[in-house]
Amino acid sequence: METSFAITGKGYVLMAADTTAARSIVKMKTDEDKIKTLSPHLLMAYSGEPGDTVQFAEYVERNIRLYQIRNVYALRPAAAASWIRRSLAESLRSRKPYSVNLLLGGYDTSSYNPQLFWIDYLGTMTEVPFAAHGYGAYFALSLLDRYHDPSASLEEGLDTLRRCIDEVSKRLVVTPGKYKVKIVDKDGVREIEL
Amino acid sequence: MASADGGAYSYSLTVFSPSGKLVQIEHALAAVAQGTTSLGIKATNGIVIATEKKTSSILIDDSVIEKVAVICPNIGIVYSGMGPDFRILVTKARKSAQAYWKIYGEYPPTKVLTQEIATVMQQATQSGGVRPYGVSLLVAGWDSHRGPSLYQVDPSGSFWAWKASAIGKNMINAKTFLEKRYNDDISLEDAIHTALLTLKEGFEGQMTEKTIEIGVVTVPTAADLEEGKIGGETGRPKPTFRKLSEEEVRDYLAL
Amino acid sequence: MSIMDHNGGSVIAMVGKDCVAIASDLRLGDRALSISSNFQRIFPITDRIYVGLPGLGTDVATLRERFRFRVNMYTIKEEREIEPETFAHLVSSTLYEHRFGPYFIEPVMAGMSKTPSGGYKPFIAATDLIGCLNFAKDFVVAGTASSKLYGVAEGLWEPDLEPEDLFETISQTLLNAADRDAFSGWGAIVHIITKDKIITRTLKGRMD
Repeated sequence: METSFAITGKGYVLMAADTTAARSIVKMKTDEDKIKTLSPHLLMAYSGEPGDTVQFAEYVERNIRLYQIRNVYALRPAAAASWIRRSLAESLRSRKPYSVNLLLGGYDTSSYNPQLFWIDYLGTMTEVPFAAHGYGAYFALSLLDRYHDPSASLEEGLDTLRRCIDEVSKRLVVTPGKYKVKIVDKDGVREIEL
Repeated sequence: MASADGGAYSYSLTVFSPSGKLVQIEHALAAVAQGTTSLGIKATNGIVIATEKKTSSILIDDSVIEKVAVICPNIGIVYSGMGPDFRILVTKARKSAQAYWKIYGEYPPTKVLTQEIATVMQQATQSGGVRPYGVSLLVAGWDSHRGPSLYQVDPSGSFWAWKASAIGKNMINAKTFLEKRYNDDISLEDAIHTALLTLKEGFEGQMTEKTIEIGVVTVPTAADLEEGKIGGETGRPKPTFRKLSEEEVRDYLAL
Repeated sequence: MSIMDHNGGSVIAMVGKDCVAIASDLRLGDRALSISSNFQRIFPITDRIYVGLPGLGTDVATLRERFRFRVNMYTIKEEREIEPETFAHLVSSTLYEHRFGPYFIEPVMAGMSKTPSGGYKPFIAATDLIGCLNFAKDFVVAGTASSKLYGVAEGLWEPDLEPEDLFETISQTLLNAADRDAFSGWGAIVHIITKDKIITRTLKGRMD
């Protein structure tokens, strides 16, 4: 039921995740924030097994922040992605693996490039121009194949994101009502009203 | 507290003396210097290592004593010092060579094995409740990267490569003798001959094929190397280190 | 569904005249859903050795990192580059360490190995997921399209192909085999390795 998307554009990564927290037929909460800010230029959207998600996401958040406290400079998106992937890969063959899927979007301040990583609960990781997790992915990805432009402006990117969200609302049986949208670019992380 | 023999600093391995020495290691070197002489000479086409096989009584069955040991098909070692310590190190070296073979499908180069042995010996100088090994080793081997190489390893764990060297009781005289006789173009046959002459210099008693042991490293020909690779890169390479039999030693002595 | 089919992907290596070629598709999938058309599964080990890792995506990354570590330690300790045969044994022993909880990868290796006389000889090898080595003389295949790769390779391969001809042969083999396999494709990459250089080309294939 949980859906998240992310797209890269000219100098930014846009990330959207639904805000519904539900158990079975009950919507417990409709303003849940499923995108964590790991460092000044790094966002992570998480989805998966309830409990595992927040536990793992906070573990990652705190460790990425610890690196920055110790070393002054934050980890670059690719390095953070490697560390996160390794944590999931090690968890996979442990007694009880975390079942959490992630989208990691960041702005690399040394190469001046936006970067987006798709990571699943097995520790599979790949850098992509756009990505999605959840049932919504089945609708969003093909739309993004057609309409995504890696050099799009923020406005154009938001339009594309709106297309995806509308399609999921139209076609997925249990549609999330609201989405939280965040952007990361050279100026850092901020929330956006769609 | 600190006297010539180390005084109070000489009883613990894990304490430096004021002059910056680990006195226990000095004592270990003294144990080595009391051992029978061994030597090694590197030639252009091989290496010879040799030692005295001195028995304390004529009643000892000397055919069972092994002072030159094969570690793996391309490496052999000889020692001066305490026999039992040597035995343990040989076992560890053989196991280390097999562990390497299990990972890489080939035997370790001489330098790598020497480093492993040296690490074992060093660990006995920085751990609690152990004493240093009372042996110095001469490691002779051949590998495709460096060719024939000869290393000496001391009780401290330090090791270095030699063209020719001697350890044990008569090492100073032997090394002087070798310095005079060694040249970079020496052939294996000449090296064996020189080794025997050097051993004879300080030999107490009769030098026969029963009172010395000789090990030889030969360089494989290109044909040998190709042969070793047959069978899908899992073929067994021909051994490059072997001990000379008593007959062979007798023939060399007769020269 | 088998774990080996979860992410999809295939790799092939072939021997030519004084050269070897290694090629793979670029698809990463989540079962039937395709995620990436740019997923790298062939990695350089040295200037003359390449390894392809088809199978479960997470293990591709993990194994690549483990081999990089072990080969770096080897290079530093031995003060020389590792040879292809030695690397093949290293792959085998690394996989066997996890005999009863294996990595879901079937590595394929290609390289140029030094001969005692100082020249270079083409080398290919592959292992199964627990490290059983296969030193073939012609070609090795692995991945979801392996059965199709065997078929096309057997038909197209011949000994002593020059680098450019080898490139054509391996490309056609991979593209046509991948087209018959639902879980492989979405682009391909080919590396031709000779004794003094490596030529890498990306192929245009059916993106379905």
